[in-house]
Amino acid sequence: MTISLGKSLKIRSTIQVAAEPISFFWPMRTFIHHNPLHGLEHLPFDLAVKEGKRLFHGEVYLPRATYQKYAKEGKIDVGSLKLEISRFLKDKNEIPNIDLQKWLENLVFQISHPISGKNELADTSDIHAALHKTEAERPLKSLMQSVSETLKNNLLKDKPVYEATDILFGARVGDELDKLVIDSCLDFFDEGQSVWSMPERQLGFFHAWKDVASRNLPFFFRGVRIGKILEESETPEGIIAYVLEQLEVPEENWLEYFTSELVRLHGWVGFIRWRSSAKHYYWNQNFPGDLVDYLAIRMTLALALLYENSKCKGHCSRKKIADSIEKDPEEAYLRIELQQSKIIPEMAHEVDQAIARGNQKQIRSVFSSYINKKRLYEAGNFSKKLDHLASISGEAGALLDLSEKNLERLIDTIAVFEENEGLTWLRSMEDHSIKKLLNGINIGKVAPKEKRPFVQAMFCIDTRSERIRRNLETVGDYETYGIAGFFGVPVSFMELGKGSEIHLCPVILTPKNLVPEVSVSEIRDDAAVTALGKAMHELKESVLTPFVTVEAIGLLFGFDMIGKTVAPSKYNHWRKNLSPEKPQTRLLLDKLSREQADSILRAAQRAVILAAVAHELGLEPEEISDSTIRDLRELALNRDIDEESCRQGLKLSGKEMESFIKTLQAHYRINESFSHVQTERLSRIGFTLEEQVNYVGSALQAIGLVSNFSRFVLLVGHGSTSENNPYESALDCGACGGNHGVVSGRVLAQMANKPQVRRRLAEQGINIPDDTFFIPGFHNTTSDEIVLHDMDLVPSSHLMYVDRLNSGLTGAARLCATERMPTLEANISETIKPLLASKAAMRNTMDWSQVRPEWGLSRNAYFIIGRRELTYEMELDGRAFLHSYDYRIDQKGRLLSTIMTGPLVVGQWINMEHYFSAVDNQRFGSGSKVNHNVAGRFGVMSGNISDLRTGLPSQTVLKDGLPYHEPIRLITLIEAPFDLAKQVFESVAATKNLVKNAWIRMLIVDPETHDVSLFERGEWKHNYQLSSELLSKSKEVKTNERV
Amino acid sequence: MKEFNFSHLKKLEIILEGEYQEFATDLLDHAGVKGYTIINNLSGKGSHGFHDGHLMFNEEAVLIMIIAAVPEELVNPILEGFAPFYNKHSGVVFVSDIQVTRLVKFKG
Repeated sequence: MTISLGKSLKIRSTIQVAAEPISFFWPMRTFIHHNPLHGLEHLPFDLAVKEGKRLFHGEVYLPRATYQKYAKEGKIDVGSLKLEISRFLKDKNEIPNIDLQKWLENLVFQISHPISGKNELADTSDIHAALHKTEAERPLKSLMQSVSETLKNNLLKDKPVYEATDILFGARVGDELDKLVIDSCLDFFDEGQSVWSMPERQLGFFHAWKDVASRNLPFFFRGVRIGKILEESETPEGIIAYVLEQLEVPEENWLEYFTSELVRLHGWVGFIRWRSSAKHYYWNQNFPGDLVDYLAIRMTLALALLYENSKCKGHCSRKKIADSIEKDPEEAYLRIELQQSKIIPEMAHEVDQAIARGNQKQIRSVFSSYINKKRLYEAGNFSKKLDHLASISGEAGALLDLSEKNLERLIDTIAVFEENEGLTWLRSMEDHSIKKLLNGINIGKVAPKEKRPFVQAMFCIDTRSERIRRNLETVGDYETYGIAGFFGVPVSFMELGKGSEIHLCPVILTPKNLVPEVSVSEIRDDAAVTALGKAMHELKESVLTPFVTVEAIGLLFGFDMIGKTVAPSKYNHWRKNLSPEKPQTRLLLDKLSREQADSILRAAQRAVILAAVAHELGLEPEEISDSTIRDLRELALNRDIDEESCRQGLKLSGKEMESFIKTLQAHYRINESFSHVQTERLSRIGFTLEEQVNYVGSALQAIGLVSNFSRFVLLVGHGSTSENNPYESALDCGACGGNHGVVSGRVLAQMANKPQVRRRLAEQGINIPDDTFFIPGFHNTTSDEIVLHDMDLVPSSHLMYVDRLNSGLTGAARLCATERMPTLEANISETIKPLLASKAAMRNTMDWSQVRPEWGLSRNAYFIIGRRELTYEMELDGRAFLHSYDYRIDQKGRLLSTIMTGPLVVGQWINMEHYFSAVDNQRFGSGSKVNHNVAGRFGVMSGNISDLRTGLPSQTVLKDGLPYHEPIRLITLIEAPFDLAKQVFESVAATKNLVKNAWIRMLIVDPETHDVSLFERGEWKHNYQLSSELLSKSKEVKTNERV
Repeated sequence: MKEFNFSHLKKLEIILEGEYQEFATDLLDHAGVKGYTIINNLSGKGSHGFHDGHLMFNEEAVLIMIIAAVPEELVNPILEGFAPFYNKHSGVVFVSDIQVTRLVKFKG
């Protein structure tokens, strides 16, 4: 069928909106923590989780029993929970002789499972009768309404047609469909893992699949004849419109229909969503595929399977199913009871027999006795639970005395309460954590610093930095700061010997500047010679070398992937040669001049021409002169030169020459317009001096380090090292896009050590003394080791302090391991010697069989924006993101707004990823690592074939089957005058919405008035005034005294 | 002086959140639109209050404007295409009459 352009666009757009509840899934090489319900963040938290539960069939709070355990362990603010209950009861009618507050408290603290929610048929009269040990009489007609409701909810509402047929007839079309779709995805999206590669992938997902599917033997043998459906339209949009027409889904329901199709394999869909939006992603550029393709494939297969499956008995459209329910609701109901294993066991056989015989009269008779039985069964069951609750509340008699009307009220009250109970527990758990934090912080005045510390060290805001910072502060005269681990400089980095760029910044940013790494052995002092000489050298050596110029100017064959695709063995060999002893390197940080860029471009084009001459004309390099190559280049660029000598040099006829030049222009892209593109790409390399000054200044201001600089300023990035761990990247730096953070430290250090940069900063009032030296470092969060980089640049005057520095770092690392290791391994006691703890941690970096090398960001709970003095005396157990911030140098609130829009948002993603992976590890997490298999080199599946597993593995968030990560929403504390913080809060839409919708719990601590304000239920509450006891505890802290 | 040949086209100014830039440009590509201009970091006031364009570390939360010049017959299909999106998201599309001199840049 042909559809109009408008309709076609509408389908695309509807699919976009339909897929929004499903979060992006990034390839696991750079694991990105994200909120699995990110697409629902426009809703308040409680509504969003309800919707998430409906869509993804996952649990969104912990089970009551786990909260009860926390309550026993003192991790819940019980007073707050009781207050929540009374708040809930405020607008509820009283029930005679029933103390509802007591009932609900007993319900949550003493009964381990919710009691309401399962009654489909029993109503109050049934329960009332059951309580009095009698049976109520109800006509069949009054039950039919509940039956019809159940049928509609189960079979029609937003459900794909095949889900209805599966429930009704046990056809299992859905499972088979998912499997076929996964197979198709694995074939198309493979990134070099499979030995077989799907042909014609450049045509795009739908067209390549269509091409193969028409000849696909497995499809044929299963009886799936999709050819007829595919003949209906050339475009995926047309196919989708056709299938929807066949399924008789009205246009106003398309959105919901698409969503329910998409959520079935939300991992794959999340990946395709991300991939199709990643325009720079190599695989997407070459083999495009989006959700329109995906749905066209999925819906084609679904329709074919429905047609072919004999069990479906021709129920191939929504209307046919609706008709069938209308005609024989009794049979439909009994079928659902059987298929969903809800059937009362004693009648299972009878129901099964009746349906098998297909005699409607018999079915109706079985149905009528069945629903009666089920009604009484439900009533009996529920009344027992209610009776138990009444007994423990000491009001069993009062329950029996209730009229039917009052009993209904009671049941409703309990049901509504239990429906919202998860949030009540969650808030009380958070209240406990908030109080704990407020008790621990110091909001006293900060005394001016008296002397310069030995070292100032910047760490990532990552929760794991809290431990190492605290320990570093105890071993010597160290002052530490927290900043997002990319140090505020978004960099697209090209590692020496690797052809592709990686983005070192949070995924909400796209870096504009490219920083290539170059080998130090080749570098001479003159920067101008450096870039040019290096490029020339590399190009001369081999045009296949995936180096900066090759990538940056986008040579013809997509050389960035050359190592991985065209010549894997060579590439690996070359990598092997390179890796063991990686040469010392520098980063190409400065912008190229116009002349440099031109020279590099010229060199690259000459190299390509050389390759073209060899390939097209079969001439070896020694057979062609430099001038011939130069002439060829000029000709291809349409410059006006005499081609005669060049033509003779190549021994070509006029015609051949003309055709060769055309080939150069078209296939080898030696032409004017591509030269412009190449020059533009080269201009991405490096930063201007202004940019460098700006980045260094912003980073220092953001954390409040603008004076009293130490001799050493460390910029410590972090990452994790472990063996055989597809999730390694999940343990790396989220602020660096799931990569190691050391390069970002090197970038900022190299900038900050530059005299020109410092001169300009001095003009802005930031005076960095000449003897201050910035050193990049790497904190390995698995071993706790901190290794300093680029030490060959340290001035000789500083060398005598390096030993002291290193031993301080080692000491802190060992103390940190002593804290951490007992939480990881049961047989390590808390009194373990630091050296042994450190050795055990080191072993985790190399142990191939270790499924839990470290806890990563598990247990994250707080995000604290303020001066270190605020938390200096508090052990936060690696549970807090610490972002340094000094409101005194931020009168306009610009710095705070930057922290709120970037780092805080990333913190919230991490927090929510952990939250949902902990509350339902099977649905929102990725289950156990033990069953994981790598899929297509970008994800993992459980077993041989499954949806792509998103979220965190059980080993990261669970311990012995219970949450190790105690899931709460991110408690964010800002230290700033209330008016300033509020003004910033109001101006930052992204964060404001997260707080207003309660995805983040936010506190503002005013250091001048000592008032603590909490955002609650839509407004700021200033009632968190610290008690006088707490205030007297706060005292002046002199940072340098704690040595 | 050279005489210019003016051709009538429609200008679309599409304002939406930066997070959806790829979606919008993809839709325009599928509609056959030959080019567009994107302006980032918009500031302004609308039904959601004032929107500040200066956000350093979050490109997804900013408002952007995509400007495209299209032949008249594409306007309705494009608006039909954006309709489901704007049913859910904030933003607006302005349509206005413009003239261009080099039609080949925009049509065919």
